Amino acid sequence: MSRAQHIVPSGIVFAVGCWIAWVSFTQQPAEAFLFPRLISAAFVALAGWTFVKALLGWSKVGSGVSRTMALNLAPGLIVSLIYVFWLAKALGFYTATTLAFFVLLSLYDPAPHNEAKTWIKRAIITACFIAVMYGVFGLLLKVYTPREILF
Amino acid sequence: MKKLLAGVAMALMALTGGAQAQDYPDRPIMMMVSYGAGGATDFQARIVTMTAGNEDALGMPIAIINKPGAGGRVGWNWFATQAESDGYTLAAYNIPHFIAQSIKGGVEYSADSFEPIANWGADPAVFVVAADSEMNSMEDVLAFAKENPGKLTFSGAGLFVGHHIAALQLEKAAGVKLAYIPTKGGGAAAMKAVIAGEVMAGVNNLSDAFRAQEAGNVKILGVFDLERNEFLPDVPTMKEQGMDIDNASVNFRGIMVPKGTPQEVIDKLAATVPEMFANARVAKKMKAGGSPMHIMTREEVQAMWAARQETLAELLEGL
Amino acid sequence: MEFIYYFGDVFAPISFLLLLVGTIGGLILGATPGLSPTMAVALLIPFTFHLEAVQGLILLGAAYTSTVAGGAVSAILLKIPGAPANIATTLDGHTMAKKGEGARALQLSFLASAVGGIFGVLLLIFLTPLLAKWALAFGPSHLFWLAILGVTIIGSLDSASVVKGLLSGCIGLWLATIGFDDIMGAQRFIFHPSLGGGINIIAALIGLFAIPQVLTMFAKGRRNDNIEVIEVKKHAIGDAVRELFSRKRAMAIGTSVGSIIGLIPGVGGQIAGLVAYDQTKKFSSEREKFGTGHSEGVIAAESANNAMVGPSLVPLLTLSIPGSPTAAVLLGGLLIHGIFPGTDLFDNHPDVAWTFINSMLIGQVLMCLFGLYVAGLAAKVAQVPQCVMAAVVLGLSVFGAYSVQSSMGDVYVMASLGVMMFFLERFGFSAAPLVLGLILGPIAEANFIQGSMIANATDGMGTYFLGGALNLVLIAIVIASIAYSVVMELRQNRAQNAEVTA
Repeated sequence: MSRAQHIVPSGIVFAVGCWIAWVSFTQQPAEAFLFPRLISAAFVALAGWTFVKALLGWSKVGSGVSRTMALNLAPGLIVSLIYVFWLAKALGFYTATTLAFFVLLSLYDPAPHNEAKTWIKRAIITACFIAVMYGVFGLLLKVYTPREILF
Repeated sequence: MKKLLAGVAMALMALTGGAQAQDYPDRPIMMMVSYGAGGATDFQARIVTMTAGNEDALGMPIAIINKPGAGGRVGWNWFATQAESDGYTLAAYNIPHFIAQSIKGGVEYSADSFEPIANWGADPAVFVVAADSEMNSMEDVLAFAKENPGKLTFSGAGLFVGHHIAALQLEKAAGVKLAYIPTKGGGAAAMKAVIAGEVMAGVNNLSDAFRAQEAGNVKILGVFDLERNEFLPDVPTMKEQGMDIDNASVNFRGIMVPKGTPQEVIDKLAATVPEMFANARVAKKMKAGGSPMHIMTREEVQAMWAARQETLAELLEGL
Repeated sequence: MEFIYYFGDVFAPISFLLLLVGTIGGLILGATPGLSPTMAVALLIPFTFHLEAVQGLILLGAAYTSTVAGGAVSAILLKIPGAPANIATTLDGHTMAKKGEGARALQLSFLASAVGGIFGVLLLIFLTPLLAKWALAFGPSHLFWLAILGVTIIGSLDSASVVKGLLSGCIGLWLATIGFDDIMGAQRFIFHPSLGGGINIIAALIGLFAIPQVLTMFAKGRRNDNIEVIEVKKHAIGDAVRELFSRKRAMAIGTSVGSIIGLIPGVGGQIAGLVAYDQTKKFSSEREKFGTGHSEGVIAAESANNAMVGPSLVPLLTLSIPGSPTAAVLLGGLLIHGIFPGTDLFDNHPDVAWTFINSMLIGQVLMCLFGLYVAGLAAKVAQVPQCVMAAVVLGLSVFGAYSVQSSMGDVYVMASLGVMMFFLERFGFSAAPLVLGLILGPIAEANFIQGSMIANATDGMGTYFLGGALNLVLIAIVIASIAYSVVMELRQNRAQNAEVTA
């Protein structure tokens, strides 16, 4: 894995650490930020060391992100994020989960897309999953999840 | 397409919203308790709402949701800013806690953010020492405090909660400096600190202290209330022991809804909830758990909130 | 020996039925993501309103024991720890399941749970008065050092690099400070309304463990040749029993660490599993195998988190002080029947006390039997195609995170932490130390502040935090633990450098 790949995440972590330290040392009341100050000091020191190590190319652990991996991941990640941050609340949990589940399944299921059988199978799996979720969370645990349309 | 769906959803919501007030409640209700599961407030909330599903009460069960943290601030902040005001989200209030916190500042709620429904209990604060302590009355405590100013450590459930108010009143009335140690983890943690000898004394809930005294772990030296309590007829009030302390620290617990809840819903709740509290089974369970009940209607609670707002503003001035 | 007298009561038809229902139901609740033992027990409280005191307690006790063990099921099969107690179980358990050894992992985890659990309850029966004193000996200064001790094991826990492990721990410690500070009530680092309540530990657990795994499955793509066919191996129960007894060291460390830590009020079960895992790793002759699906890891973690169940009730039953959130809920279950824990319980209601404790003993056995029965079946989960699995885990995570406190904010926090963790893991950071920081941060902070307030009013900081035998012992262990980490880091660097030159 290239040196650049290690520099980016450790750089971000280091930047976050600096931000935390800045906030901790400037915010009031001081008593409430005593502990964050302590942590941020250790944070900045460790993150700085990691960043320097990455710059010098000493970082060895971790497998990094390859191009194929990123391409494989992108559609799933995007669908998941839309599902979690928008659809779940906008459409209600059960509707959104049905939709997201089916889309994700279709995106990553290796079975050929041009056969009706595949699609029926996917629909059945989705229906089963939603039924189980409704049974456990809706009926058994009586969790009142957001329900905007349908159920 | 998604926009369209969202639009349809909005329209449906608007439609159902109108119909809601008449059939209220037509689905289970959620009640937020801003303390952890198993604490005194949570425990009592679960008992007083256990008959909510009965036909003569609301006809729908009330589910308790805990949002503990920072002496209740986390839960009430959530309730004031994020809870939906459709009548399906209730919360338990603790007076003087949330009023004191809103006077102190740093939170997004005040007494005006909420609409009271009814009060179910009043739990006075008491002063406790460990069973093996040498102090046997408030007189001993104050004598020690006068000799060693700022050295008498005593625990309570946090800052700007009932226990803290009681502590402030005690310092003011007796004219001594004490070391109030707020604990994390509510009254139970504060009680543990007393029993384990980490601190010399403590302020705690009457209900919890009563049990701890029964178990032989602590001695109760005084009650922060206007009258002696039926659970502890032998323990004198602070006033009887020569200190000018009223009932400002008494922990009143009840149910409220966020501001903006439809008036019909508030009326319906205000009419049914006090009766629900008065249920004989509820009273029996509360008594068994050592929790004093004190049922008040919406109007009485509104008056009580207003009165507390004034007293506390005065007490907390300059802190 | 009074307790033997009350054994018969456990087998009264209704009691035994409730015990059975509580155990099986508890396993299922425990295996549901988002449902911690505390919540499961709180959910059951309303049912006990209609039961007699003894029966209600049997139900709650059985649910407590089996939800702790049930958490291992989702931890092993889905890599979603049901509660903080099960974090350590995921480290080796899930790797085993991925290799098709899910049945073995589950059997070992249930057996280890039962052994640890029974030991813990026996401690509760025989040593309660002694243990109660010990539990109370831990004041703020000791709890502070204990939390620091926990922080020091961060470096050696499941991480390829000590520095990155420590840094992960720091991230966790920082995340824990988000929200209202508990004592002063000041707002800290709240840059989004969802963070107002701080980061919920259960939601964080789901995000940090489950989401990276979902994304990893996505990252493998949809082509056929990437799909590994996992053969789920059958595993005889007899072999699991034999293996368990050949791993005496892991068993012993797990059980003793779990019992000791479980006893300490306020720290309790959350870190028992992790500390036991770490200690077993340090003393093991096969140290390098940990994290790659090594059975010692599962045994240590699971024996520890069930061993903690019995002792965690000691302060509750003797002094009426709930030592853990779950114990606090159980206290409520006692109070509604007018029974006050403490001397009242053992003197005036011995039938309630002993039947309850006995039922936990028998509950452990039932839990183990039932667990072993379903282990083989449940392990088949590993055969579910990756695409289905990813979608299932994602859906479960969203529902699980929401159900913790019916809050959308928790779902957003869960997902954000999860995506962040996925990328961090690619670069050598790891989730276990981060979570440990998240758990220990508030304990360390609250006890430090409380301790310093007491210290300022009395003896002064120096004497309060550094004086006394217990403080000194804890400090010595902290120093030893740091020294160990430093030595490991140096050795690691040397090995790396050797590689580079070679």
